Amino acid sequence: MYNKLTPKIVEELIGIVGSNNVIYDDPEALEAYSHDEVAEKHYAHMPEAVVKPSSAEEIAQIIKLANKYKIPITPRGAGSGLSGGAVPVYGGIVLSVERMNRILEIDKENLVVVVEPGVVTNEINNAVKEYGLFYAGYPMSVETCYIGGNVAENAGGGRAVKYGVTGRYVIGLEVVTPTGDIVHLGGKVMKDVTGYDLIHLMVGSEGTLGIFTKIYLKLIPLPQAKVDLLVLFEDMDTAIKTVPKIMTFGRIIPTSIEFMDDLSFKTACKYLNEKIPFEEAGAMLLIELDGNNKTELEEQYEIIGNLCMENGAIEVYVADNATTSERIWRIRRNIAEAWKQFSPHQSLEDVVVPISEIPTFLKKIREISNKYRVPIPCYGHAGDGNIHATPIKPPELSMEEWHEKLEKLLEEMYVVVKELGGVISGEHGIGHKRKKYLPLVLEPAHIEMMRAIKKALDPNLILNPGKII
Amino acid sequence: MGEVWTLAEFRHGKLNPVSFELLNRGKSLAQKLNTSIASVVIGYNIKKEDIDELIARGADKVYVVGDKRLENFIVETYARVILRLLDEYNPDIFIAAATTTGRTLMPYIAVKKQTGLTADCTVLDIEEETGNLLQTRPAIGGNILATIKTPNTRPQMATVRPHSTKPLPPDKTRKGEIIYKQFDEEVFTTTTKYVRFIKDKSQQINIQDAKIIVAGGRGLGKAENFKLIEELAELLSGAVGASRDVVDRGWKTYPHQIGLSGKTVSPTLYIAVGISGAIQHIAGMQTSENIIAINKDPDAQIFKIANLGIVGDLNEILPLLIERIKEYKKKEANLNV
Amino acid sequence: MRIIVPIKQVPETSNVKMDPVTGTMVREGVENVVNPLDLYAIETAIRLKEEYGGEIIVVSMGPEKAIDAIKEAIAMGCDDGILLSDKKFAGSDTFATSYVLAKAIKQIGDFDLVICGERATDGDTGQVGPGIASFLDLPLSTFTSQILSVENGKITVKRLVEEGYEEIEMMLPAVLTVVKEISDPRLPTLRGKLKAKRMEIPIWDAQKIGAEGQKIGLKGSPTRVVKIFTPKVTREGEKIIVKDEKTLYQAVDRIMDYLIKKELI
Repeated sequence: MYNKLTPKIVEELIGIVGSNNVIYDDPEALEAYSHDEVAEKHYAHMPEAVVKPSSAEEIAQIIKLANKYKIPITPRGAGSGLSGGAVPVYGGIVLSVERMNRILEIDKENLVVVVEPGVVTNEINNAVKEYGLFYAGYPMSVETCYIGGNVAENAGGGRAVKYGVTGRYVIGLEVVTPTGDIVHLGGKVMKDVTGYDLIHLMVGSEGTLGIFTKIYLKLIPLPQAKVDLLVLFEDMDTAIKTVPKIMTFGRIIPTSIEFMDDLSFKTACKYLNEKIPFEEAGAMLLIELDGNNKTELEEQYEIIGNLCMENGAIEVYVADNATTSERIWRIRRNIAEAWKQFSPHQSLEDVVVPISEIPTFLKKIREISNKYRVPIPCYGHAGDGNIHATPIKPPELSMEEWHEKLEKLLEEMYVVVKELGGVISGEHGIGHKRKKYLPLVLEPAHIEMMRAIKKALDPNLILNPGKII
Repeated sequence: MGEVWTLAEFRHGKLNPVSFELLNRGKSLAQKLNTSIASVVIGYNIKKEDIDELIARGADKVYVVGDKRLENFIVETYARVILRLLDEYNPDIFIAAATTTGRTLMPYIAVKKQTGLTADCTVLDIEEETGNLLQTRPAIGGNILATIKTPNTRPQMATVRPHSTKPLPPDKTRKGEIIYKQFDEEVFTTTTKYVRFIKDKSQQINIQDAKIIVAGGRGLGKAENFKLIEELAELLSGAVGASRDVVDRGWKTYPHQIGLSGKTVSPTLYIAVGISGAIQHIAGMQTSENIIAINKDPDAQIFKIANLGIVGDLNEILPLLIERIKEYKKKEANLNV
Repeated sequence: MRIIVPIKQVPETSNVKMDPVTGTMVREGVENVVNPLDLYAIETAIRLKEEYGGEIIVVSMGPEKAIDAIKEAIAMGCDDGILLSDKKFAGSDTFATSYVLAKAIKQIGDFDLVICGERATDGDTGQVGPGIASFLDLPLSTFTSQILSVENGKITVKRLVEEGYEEIEMMLPAVLTVVKEISDPRLPTLRGKLKAKRMEIPIWDAQKIGAEGQKIGLKGSPTRVVKIFTPKVTREGEKIIVKDEKTLYQAVDRIMDYLIKKELI
């Protein structure tokens, strides 16, 4: 159904972006573009060529070319994705936006920043900081990921409770369509119902509906102060039950409410040689608050801390400075690394359930874990029900046995998720890692709608084929 | 013009080699001031050859106080003895090594003499016009160097970072004056009791004296992997160092920690394995003469200060390196037969 | 048991950034914290109190914002705090600082132990602890790594020295400087934080502690900073990237050459 690249086509590509910006016939160099951060090798696939355009016009030409010759194109950001979204499963061309890495404009009057897709998300905040501004939609892998990838996956991350996810801040896009046209959606306007909300169709489309070449992001005032609470509970029920209370009785929306089950924090604490009395605890919440001054935050953490104690917390630790805050967050950040010491193969899942269902979900996960004899530490964002349940390969299993087991296990997990009214990905996306499970959780009609949209925009199905549907 | 004095550390019946480095420092200062350079050695069972060694290493004079009650370091008594000497001879400059002894004794004495003291200097010089001692030391984790002087009080005191200079080769022909001092009872009376010394077996070679240090960081992945570091260190007859991160994780004990909250070292060779090179750590080892860094992250800070950087997997590189060193040593051994 | 813990508020240096142009520390956005090495002193004091009962008083010399550091110590479990703050203290070197702290400690009076961190991570001198002991004419144990016993007016401790440990016994009152090995600092709890928050921290000035004018501040400091400059730390050494078997062997060969050429082996 797709054609292979020929030296002739490669010549045309070179004609568009220049020879320095085309990788072809160089396996070592191409390998780097064959995978994202999904560890399992079998999700990887070699591209036939990599092109690195520098403008919307070049991208448009490349896409027209691909349509002409029926060559699949897979857009790629930093390659830090966790669903295989940037993997060229049908080979063809990987279109890397790495050269389009300019911050085009910081508009202080309209509180908007305009960037190219290849800008490292972290750079945006470094750049707007000096104007006392803040881009709040960024996920956790701030050091590496590109804003283009964030928009394509509608990335979330730790701060979603208070600030929402990437899509909330995308108010305009310049997009190259799958047929090679350049369209401008939205702009510096805060409201826009002039026609369908195509911006948010594009946001989270995982590179299947268009390639973003300009992104307009809404900025907000930069919070001046920050406090973290580490709360120890006897069990997950008690822990999770306090989460809604914080927002209702406390009337406070924290920046983030992370939770860790005992498998997660006990392994991490042992790995870190952390001396807080974690053995007594069965669950932990990590609550982060930000605001404009210390006193405001002191009042807030007093309210929240007391709420936790009244609702059965064993202990509440308060970190309001770099030393203690780092010590608290290090536990959450080291869960994956700590488990790697036990076994390097993990499947980082990304399910979402209604907050109140988290304890039930975790109970079910325990059952599944026991049934398959696979440890499944669970941690994630209690504030929005996004759970990173992470099946770990038991060292004694062979890779084959593991993949077999994992497939069945995930299927059961996803069924549970559906029963609880949840979804199978909250911030990492479907890509092709979770594609086969989509029918498990979405109605046929729902999938059909997506197919119809895809066909309408991309008749030749050349843009990131093999993803989502 | 008063003399330049150095403290010769005498512990467990022998001179600490850093005493010779100090003499080299002191000598160049004494020459600039054209005054004489003297060592103060206090302790118990100080042998003539120890004193001669100090002279051979550059001392014009050696002040010796030998007494059973000075066998072990107790700051109050040591301080009193030295204060007596300072009061009697009024040296212009008095330097000691920045060892646990130096860093304890010198501030205690400086306060009693109501004079200035600069810690852990890496450069000492004389201000031409005034003859004042210019004392340069790293601060804010080695991010800046500060030059400090003590204009109005004497002696000018400083502790000097071990291995920040080389000792002079011994010259047995040098002649020097030896002054033996005795003091009355009250100098030695103290309520503090030295109970015992406990050797740390994990530190066969003390990090701060080691010519070669092989240090491991978080890149090692787990505590067990320190075996590789230890093996390499042993082959090079060096000491084992560790980053704060791995000491916090309990992979290695605190005496091995190098950096801002640990020890400061300047060996001839520092091999950093799996250490990213946080300012924290760099502060403690950047004055090393040669630095070799092995890290899988090409952007690791450590490479900025390394003479030789290897970007790669330590689990591949170390075993191979160890093997190669063994071969090399075997060859050498055979050649020497 | 009555314990006094002198602490210092320092810039958080673990990720300090230097201005490449001016070569000075970028203070912007650098927050102040309790000197990390003081946390071990605070923890040691709290554990002694838990075992023998008594009271812990934290003293800190610094500007008014250093009250945050004192309150953090109280949140961890110390009982009281005093801030030593006075324009006249400005520019004090380690001599003058030791003097001010010693005077304040005398003023507080009736104590069994003074426990200091081994040194501050900004000044990095480690001279204030011994300085205090000298001003107060008290027995001193530096680099203390363990407290073995406290009984009938005596304390026995282990000191971390070059080749191992020294065990010494001292009469109380005494001064200790402690190293990391001695304890694992606890995290401040909500209860602690709230207690500290509601607490009034008295501020003592030069007059209150009876400090002589010619011994404090810049005037009272025997040392003078002549100049401050940035060292060139970067060495721009060579870098070898291991991609495969071949480059792996090249890299190891290069290390061997280096060791041999420099006679390090």
